[in-house]
Amino acid sequence: MPSIDQFIESFLTAVDFQEAVEVTPDTELRSLPEWDSLAALGVIVMFDVDYGKTITGDDLKNCSTIADLYKLLG
Amino acid sequence: MALSTLHNVRFAGMASCVPRRVISNLEDCPPSQRSERERLVRNIGIKTRRICPEWQCFSDLAFAATEKLLDALQWQRDEIDALIVVTQSPDYLIPSTAIILQDRLGLPHSTIAFDVNLGCSGYPFGLHLLGSMIAAGGIKKGLVLVGDKSATIMDPLFSDAGTATALEFDTSAPPMHFDLNSDGSGYKAIMLPVGGHREPYGVEHLIPTRDEHGFLRSASDLVLDGPAVLSFSTQRVPPAVERLLAYASVDKQQIDYFIFHQANRMINETIRKKLGLPLDKVPSTLPDFGNTSGASLPVTLTARLHERLSDGEAKLLLGGFGIGLSWGTAIVDVKKAVFPTMLEI
Repeated sequence: MPSIDQFIESFLTAVDFQEAVEVTPDTELRSLPEWDSLAALGVIVMFDVDYGKTITGDDLKNCSTIADLYKLLG
Repeated sequence: MALSTLHNVRFAGMASCVPRRVISNLEDCPPSQRSERERLVRNIGIKTRRICPEWQCFSDLAFAATEKLLDALQWQRDEIDALIVVTQSPDYLIPSTAIILQDRLGLPHSTIAFDVNLGCSGYPFGLHLLGSMIAAGGIKKGLVLVGDKSATIMDPLFSDAGTATALEFDTSAPPMHFDLNSDGSGYKAIMLPVGGHREPYGVEHLIPTRDEHGFLRSASDLVLDGPAVLSFSTQRVPPAVERLLAYASVDKQQIDYFIFHQANRMINETIRKKLGLPLDKVPSTLPDFGNTSGASLPVTLTARLHERLSDGEAKLLLGGFGIGLSWGTAIVDVKKAVFPTMLEI
């Protein structure tokens, strides 16, 4: 399992932010301007390719913070 | 009957046709900010697409592709025993577009002609269906026309194309191997929910409403559950490829090219990485032709490999996947087949 900092690095790449954003474990996903359908697809691919973990669109909808996303790796 | 082998069926040739009209996801389409469009293009991998003018149908593209293919093959019209059209963009809801094309192409009344309702997965299914009829012995020469008119300005994925593939009976042909699958539990992942008998069109469907992102949507629009389609594609396709290779006793190294349905960059790159395939063995037409639905395999073969395939021989692994949900793979040896250049009308 990666550290949460490594996970945030992967997350930033997967969402493909246009401008640098500060993301912490407590960051609300909805507060991020690029948290859209494209970002959701990028995060699903990241879980699959980087961590070998299958997650669904519903799993993502149930997450409100970065920490919630990180818990999906468990 | 997921896995099967066909004997005595030769892949004789293929032609593809796209509309001349090009639209750019960077210039012509939503979202409104250029940086957002650049991010979209980066991730879906689609820069430009082809879109039919209003008056043009899928069958017009398929008709042009077929004319070009028959000329290149020098086949006589009265030799064609079967014409199968795989599309979800028929000229009319009924009758079958294939029967209209039988007459338009000047094929004889003895030609078997019918439509198959499959989308992005359709190419391996069409090959198998026509190939099975030929392998059974009664049909000597046949055509399978695959494609759709699904491009709109608003949706950045879809692009229009029509294609024609010719198969013929030949006892010296190498075997073709197939793995074809269906999972109807996922039928809601990609659908047109209105206009069939479960939900006929009514006046209420004519009024567009704004969705959660502020886009106007009407009941006639395609519904596509992106995460569900992504998960389906990336979970189902790689093991299906491995299964077919094992069944056919073929190593990945023996396959010259892996041609997959061109869905979007995220899906296609995930499939490629999971299978450990090098980029040069997996040609793509996403940047310039987008997602051409069931036509994407022939469009990719024509656009990227027509010179290579016209000259010599190659062992191809084909993979289609999408609406249904439905997915299929095929291993096909192409030798001295006819591959005209891409046609634009």
